[in-house]
This record gives sequence, structure tokens and C-alpha cells, in this order.
Amino acid sequence: MDRSGSDLEADEDEGMQLLRDRFRLSLISIAETEAKKYDMEVSAPVMGCVSDLAFKLTEQLAKDLELFAHHGNRKSVNMDDVILSAHRNEHVATLLRSMALELKAKEPQIEKKRKKTPKQMERTGADDVLELS
Amino acid sequence: MENGFDPDLIYAIFKRVWSRKTREREANEDVEMVGGSEVGIGTSKRNRPTTANSNALKLSCELIKLFVAEAVNRAAIIAEAEGINTIEATHLERVLPQLLLDF
Repeated sequence: MDRSGSDLEADEDEGMQLLRDRFRLSLISIAETEAKKYDMEVSAPVMGCVSDLAFKLTEQLAKDLELFAHHGNRKSVNMDDVILSAHRNEHVATLLRSMALELKAKEPQIEKKRKKTPKQMERTGADDVLELS
Repeated sequence: MENGFDPDLIYAIFKRVWSRKTREREANEDVEMVGGSEVGIGTSKRNRPTTANSNALKLSCELIKLFVAEAVNRAAIIAEAEGINTIEATHLERVLPQLLLDF
């Protein structure tokens, strides 16, 4: 309990609150898109709860990824670390693995030039997959 | 697929958690240093901040997005079964244990 208290203090200053709010904004748009598929609305307390949960998940993910990277004697987190962090659920791990392959396939094609809009990259990537098959 | 988390935002959160962790670790090391011998050269190298490559960040965004999508989807199924058009706290409560075990 003491730990969570001191964590909270550290969070409040230094703009962690700002990050939390930005996080919540993107989360709300995702959640509403998902709910629309069922013609549902998400009540405010549920949205707040999911937002807190997802934020805690992100923090835990950060700790896991750092540990995994350090365990591999690296200072940089790579895709395998993220996949490893999802090992508890086979389906999630499979989804991430296939997405990792997609991202990897895209990389040589753009010749290490990073486009700033990920949407465009997704489109060009999808086209390429069609050509290949 | 059209919306999701901004990798830069996730990276900012990661960085903050990592720097907090590093600070804690340094505090622990300071205590050890007072009691033990001085090994200053190795520690500075060890405390270089953790980084993440862009693909790893995109993948992390996807993982968090999956979590949110699953939370809403599962709760929506419960709400649908009850014939209610709004996802309430009770619906989320029902799916929460398994959801947390899955992520």
C-alpha cells in the first residue's frame, strides 16, 4: 500500500497525468468503435475502469519488456520481447507473432525510410501481400 | 484497424516507467555503495536507459488495443444476453477475472 502511494505521488508531478489523459482519449475511441459493432454504448464508469486497467497493463508491460531485454543482455526492447510478454494467452501470442512477421516483411521494402503515417504503410503492405500470393 | 494508440504516447509512458525504475535502482545502489566498495565505472554503463525499437512499440500498441477490444467485446456479449444496450459495470465485472488472466 505504501508503494502504490509513493508511485501515485511520482505520477502526479512531471506530466504523467497528461500522458494518462492522452491515453484515455485514444482508448475511448477504440472502445467506442468496438462497442458500435454490437450497437452498444459504454457507460462512463466502465470506460474509466477499462482505462485504468489498460494504463496499469501498459506500466506492467513496460516493466516486463525492460526485464526481458536486460535478460537478453540488450538495452533495446525488440519485437520478440513483446511477443514473450503475451505468452500467457496462446491466441494473443499468435496474433502478435503474425503482426510481427508483417512488420518485418515491410521493413526491407521501405529501405529503412520510415514514413510518418502508419496507415499508408499498412496499405502498401497489404498490396504487396496480394502481389506475392 | 483505423484507430489505435499512438506509438509515441506508449513510448513516453514506457520511458517514464523505466526512468522511475532506474531511479529506484540507483537509490538501492547508493545504499550498497556506502556500505561496500566503490565500483563506479560499471554502474554508469549498466544504468544506460532502456530503449525500444519502433516495431516493438507498434506491437505493444496492438497488444494494449487488443486488451481494450477484448474487454469491450466480452462485456458487450454479457450485456447483449441481458438485453441491455449499455455496457454497465456489472457486465465488466463478470468478464474481468478471465480477462485479467488472459493478459
